[in-house]
Amino acid sequence: MGTSIEIIIIQAMHGFVYGLLLFMVASGLTLVLGMMGVLNIAHIAFYMLGAYIAYSITTYTGSFWLSLVASPIIVGALSIIIERIFLKKTYKAGHALQILLTFGLYFIFAELVRLIWGTSPFRLAPPELLSGGITLLGKTFPIYRLFIIGFSVVIFIAMILILMRTRIGIIIRAAVYDTDMVEALGNNIPLYFIGVFAAGAFLAAVAGVVAAPLLTIFSGMGDQVLLDCFVVIIVGGFGSLLGAFIASLMLGQLQSFGIMWIPELAIVFQFLLMALVLIIRPTGLMGEEI
Amino acid sequence: MSRTRIHQIAGIIISALLLLAPFYLPEIRVHLLIEILIFALFALSFNLLYGYAGLLCFGIGAFFGIGAYVYALLLTHLPQMPLLLGLLISAFGAWLAGIAIGFLSVRLRGAYFALITFAFQMFLYAVALKWRSVTNGDDGIGVTRPEFYLPLFGKISLMNIINLYYLILGVVALGVLLAYLFLKTPLGNSAVCMRENETRSSFLGYDSFLTKVTIFSLSGFLAGLAGSLFVLFNEFVATNCIDMNMSFAVVLMAIIGGTGQFFGPVIGAAFYTAFQNWLSSFTQHWWLFVGALYVATVLYLPGGLVSIANLFKRGD
Amino acid sequence: MGCALKLENIHKDFSGLQVLKGIHLEIKEGERHAIIGPNGAGKSTLFNIITGLYKPSKGRLLFREKDITGWPIHKISRMKISRSFQITNLYPRMTVFENVRNAVISKLNRRFDWLHLLDNDQEINEETERILSLLSLEGVRNFLAAELSYGAQRELEIALTLARDPILIMLDEPTAGLNTEETRKVVEIIRRVTERKTLVIVEHDMEVVFSLASRITVLNYGRILATGAPDEVRENEEVKNAYLGKKQYVTRSQ
Repeated sequence: MGTSIEIIIIQAMHGFVYGLLLFMVASGLTLVLGMMGVLNIAHIAFYMLGAYIAYSITTYTGSFWLSLVASPIIVGALSIIIERIFLKKTYKAGHALQILLTFGLYFIFAELVRLIWGTSPFRLAPPELLSGGITLLGKTFPIYRLFIIGFSVVIFIAMILILMRTRIGIIIRAAVYDTDMVEALGNNIPLYFIGVFAAGAFLAAVAGVVAAPLLTIFSGMGDQVLLDCFVVIIVGGFGSLLGAFIASLMLGQLQSFGIMWIPELAIVFQFLLMALVLIIRPTGLMGEEI
Repeated sequence: MSRTRIHQIAGIIISALLLLAPFYLPEIRVHLLIEILIFALFALSFNLLYGYAGLLCFGIGAFFGIGAYVYALLLTHLPQMPLLLGLLISAFGAWLAGIAIGFLSVRLRGAYFALITFAFQMFLYAVALKWRSVTNGDDGIGVTRPEFYLPLFGKISLMNIINLYYLILGVVALGVLLAYLFLKTPLGNSAVCMRENETRSSFLGYDSFLTKVTIFSLSGFLAGLAGSLFVLFNEFVATNCIDMNMSFAVVLMAIIGGTGQFFGPVIGAAFYTAFQNWLSSFTQHWWLFVGALYVATVLYLPGGLVSIANLFKRGD
Repeated sequence: MGCALKLENIHKDFSGLQVLKGIHLEIKEGERHAIIGPNGAGKSTLFNIITGLYKPSKGRLLFREKDITGWPIHKISRMKISRSFQITNLYPRMTVFENVRNAVISKLNRRFDWLHLLDNDQEINEETERILSLLSLEGVRNFLAAELSYGAQRELEIALTLARDPILIMLDEPTAGLNTEETRKVVEIIRRVTERKTLVIVEHDMEVVFSLASRITVLNYGRILATGAPDEVRENEEVKNAYLGKKQYVTRSQ
């Protein structure tokens, strides 16, 4: 088993790909959690739906790029409906009810997906433009994964710019820190929240679309991501985007190298990390006191 | 007639019905009843944590699964072990897991606690899936029901479904009794204190951490017991015993039945199992209906089925 | 008489805000010690530090010569230091009897007892009854704490504080919101139950302070302005300038 530098770099890049995708999903989750204290497990369903809807659109129209745009929009719109019908009722009722509800919604979505698309898994081929590989450091590296990296980075830069430079972004960040104060200053928090919620769902769906050619599309595809998101939030700290980012990348690397070294027990590393964080710093790497 | 009177009479009637079940129910229904009993115990263990200690444990399936796997392994490698001892050891294994996981989890609150316990369960699920040499992965382990030796009656074959029924009824009844009495002890009261006012309790000298770990592990014990009974019944254990569906099913049962009263989860287990059984005979998407019912319950009838009676009482 | 509580150079910062700066305080056994000061002076923070809710940023806390700095709340409580809460902090969905019983179970160190049933337990029930009668709460024993009148809730609050037979009793504005009659009643109860015990009381009602306290400490901006017998403090120029003369205090709420 040669662990030459090239192999390590390639593995790291694979890990990077998954880490970035994970962050795309986890970011919405942690932002919503930090802003309204709502843990929306159904958020992962948006990831799954993003992939499935992209599959349908691509199959019918032949265009992957169209689904990259349309699927997240559809999922984003759907998320607003979900929020208004179901989640709105639980804000006053406390965490337990929210998590009970969103957990239920996640399962319902998984079942709905089986109802609509059937139980067979799907494969989606990456678009012509992005298929194939290029030679990197003596190995073939899929172009599509490079695309994911580049694409994700662009999205994140956009995210940072919005959050740091625009008024909306500043309000959102402040709201994560202290919702009541921001509301008292006259901002329509519920509106911002719906916006953040939908944006999070949008991003999760984008991740789903982008991940579809990489992974198999099946109704359990959210399960692993669900778990990983939980670990990300625990390790990164609730409500912290930076923490989620670091944790996602860490997890991506752990998965990648874990699979390389001890494929059967790669998951052990994940949990060791989580247990370690729980013992040493229960609020997460960047989290505030609960 | 006072409420207690009504409860007592209902209790007697239901006990009689349960004791006489094999005589008036067809065998297939006895099977269903056994399943209900096992999940009643399981749901109760969940509610011990949620309804009484205020701890929402989404990873409750972990303990069920541990109980199941430990018992299956016992039956495989030590088949001569007395049956009750085997069940006890399996439950004890789950109890230990409860201490370990509880130790790491109980400092967190609310949704975060639920998350962590869920993550731990998924970890154990992955272990069960990957550690094929021990667990056989998703192919599972098949076992044979051992014989049950009772002092005056001699060897009892559990292949006879009626014998199995009474055995499981007895064990479940014991488990339920344990939970019921536990809640009436000072320790049970401590758990409720934690939920009612954790701050005050601390100032009164209650160690929040220790109390929570204690009740968490007790809950694990009962869930593990249910898991081992499950294996006894199905003669099979696989990763489905420890996956998230198992947790979710029992959360569903407790919520639909009602978490505010002791027997709520029991009613929920009965309802869920019967409902699922009926629905799945004509649609493979019964999950959807049960899930929808669950969501409706969470949103519109948070007290669960047991609270329907309250709707008819004059407004309080 | 020995020293019950000693605070050595206690500092407390909250994210850069210095709430307590270098508090040195000695409270002797058997004292009735009142802590007064304007709002924001740091009285509650001091209270919370002594009872373990906060850890001091700097300094030491000693109870009967034993260093209890940074101890967890329940451990401090078991040292027989009890506190009441300014905003009533009861078990709202439990009855008065159950409320007191919770404290009794803890006092008798039977929190982890899983071998006895509460309903029949003589030791616990008798002790609970005793405490209820101490504060004349038998009449409302089956009421839910949330259903009680405000005055009765304050009495239950004190009952919970006393149920553990504490050596050091800390009362946080026990007469807040009470009318004259209720205040008088509560002060009587306090006087009666703190005999031979050490009392630390935070109060705004000056009449209560001067009728109960054997020593007074005045806190202002996180520092001790003065400590001493009531008359000394009353005559202290600094204290008078700070607020005693300014009638910031309500002597009685009608």
